[in-house]
Amino acid sequence: MNALTPQQGKAPGAFSAGLQDRLDGLCLVCLGGFMVALGRSTLYWYFLNPKFSPLTLTAGAILCIAGLTLLIWPRPGRATTGRLLRQAALLAFLFLAAMAWHEAAFEPNAGAFDPAPQADAVPDPEPEAPVDLHPVKNGTSYVRLNLAELYIMLDKKRKDYPPHFALRAQVLRTPTLDERGLLLLRRTAVVCCLADSLELRFFAGGMDDALSGIKSGDWVEVFGHLEPLVPAAGAQKAGAPKADKSGVKELLKLAPKGEPPSLAFNNPGFRIQAESVERIKGPDFPYLFEFREKEPFAW
Amino acid sequence: MDQSAFAIFSAIVTSIVLEAAPFLLLGSLLSALLAVYVGDGALARLARRGLGAQIGLGLVAGLMLPTCECGVVPVTRRLLRKGVPPGAAISFMLAAPVVNPVCLAATWVAFQGDWRMVAWRAALVMIPAAAVAWVLGSVKGSDLLRPTLDMARGMTDDAEHDSGCGCGCGHAHEDHVRPKPLQGLLDVLRLTGREFLDMALFLIIGALAAGLFKTYMPQEWLGLVSTNLWLAVPAMMLLAVLISICSEADAFVAASLSMFPRPALLAFLALGPMLDLKLLPAFLTVFKRRPALVVILVPALAVFALTISLGLAGVLQ
Repeated sequence: MNALTPQQGKAPGAFSAGLQDRLDGLCLVCLGGFMVALGRSTLYWYFLNPKFSPLTLTAGAILCIAGLTLLIWPRPGRATTGRLLRQAALLAFLFLAAMAWHEAAFEPNAGAFDPAPQADAVPDPEPEAPVDLHPVKNGTSYVRLNLAELYIMLDKKRKDYPPHFALRAQVLRTPTLDERGLLLLRRTAVVCCLADSLELRFFAGGMDDALSGIKSGDWVEVFGHLEPLVPAAGAQKAGAPKADKSGVKELLKLAPKGEPPSLAFNNPGFRIQAESVERIKGPDFPYLFEFREKEPFAW
Repeated sequence: MDQSAFAIFSAIVTSIVLEAAPFLLLGSLLSALLAVYVGDGALARLARRGLGAQIGLGLVAGLMLPTCECGVVPVTRRLLRKGVPPGAAISFMLAAPVVNPVCLAATWVAFQGDWRMVAWRAALVMIPAAAVAWVLGSVKGSDLLRPTLDMARGMTDDAEHDSGCGCGCGHAHEDHVRPKPLQGLLDVLRLTGREFLDMALFLIIGALAAGLFKTYMPQEWLGLVSTNLWLAVPAMMLLAVLISICSEADAFVAASLSMFPRPALLAFLALGPMLDLKLLPAFLTVFKRRPALVVILVPALAVFALTISLGLAGVLQ
């Protein structure tokens, strides 16, 4: 065992001999530092589910320690193409990641990442005020849940979803859907990281007056219930799609295609019939990270 | 690439690398601990067992040594260099990302307690893993691995390699003696860092490819191929390779792709942890060409054949 001997550090040319290890160490400290900084940042959710932030912090700290070990107690080694390549790749990644972080911090649009407050939006509740998970409107009791929770329950063919519910969503409108008195409500669900994100959507109708003033990109809280995606014959407007598979297919085709980074899915069985709609300020985390299948829902 | 597409691309690449980094680090740490503290003879004793026993042990080792595909390659490389027979090491490498408690529980939750999906997923990974391990089981560990990564470290002229030791543990020695506590800790940290950097290169290359795919993938094709089994299975296999999701999260994505037949979802769940854009460059660099091709092609062909057979037999309809 000849590492760490003081003589080694004092030998002539020892610094240049250990330069490659030191560069490796520097790369690791930079990556570890980046992970620690991002793990403590309020923008962590932009990349990963916040529940993983302790993992990122811990890994970042260990990388820093491993990097410092190489920086302080290097071993002699040559500069090879492969070694320089991996150092360059890591630094290039760090540059890319720093740009992504910068983009997240200065996201200019008022879309999912930076919901602009609307003039007529319902004001934020007091920070300490508990959320009423069973609001009552016009004598009807609603259960608050998030859109992904409802989607997952339906996807699993569960029948015990709340008959009347309230959920928050971003609105997506197109002229062809407007003609049919429909719009799309969407939320992005993230299990681990942005790469596995899914944009889950429901068609929504009803409350024509309330919905008419709402634009694409607005955030709303919808109080309503579920109905079949294509209502049975006689219960729909003239020119509406048939209440069979072809009708459903026809309707699903009207939905705009999803955009990266998320895969988009329109619920193929049900639509939300709105009973009341309130425009709201977008949530702090536009993504959904938690999904429960029974009360209390994550909302 | 316009600015918003580039922003999405960079965010996806960053999220994939940061998601995988802790698991890659765990794999590197395990590899370093094995190198520094486990004597060569301890694991090499496995070679005395028959190939069947080696494969069986490798297939279930993930239950005791949970890891995901992000960290499994450095551990496998270390196991092979420590003398673990390929039958055990290769079957561990391919099966452990799925046959471990975390991944199986995630599959169970995502498919609402459907044990058939859990059992079929495990089977569809264990069968190809056993097949690959059987094919490569008679090859010497040293004939499987490329020396490339050692040269990348520029350490081939170090005393450790002059001594003929293949452990790569970072300390010179005549024989594997247990190092003093502080010395051992520093060896582990130094080796963990180097091992991490070795594999991070391939993680970054894979994340860049997956980021490009996710940014520019036309989503319509998912709907077009979902109704035909012969198209759905290869499409989902391709999706698994290209989007490179961690084996602990992929079940939730698969569960949301409910328009696809179940055999196609199983193809997605089985192949992704054995072959994706993070693993491809790692396999091609860690293993010599022929073993790498076996590790890449056999699982892909086996998963295709098995899931198509399940679909045609009407299983899981």
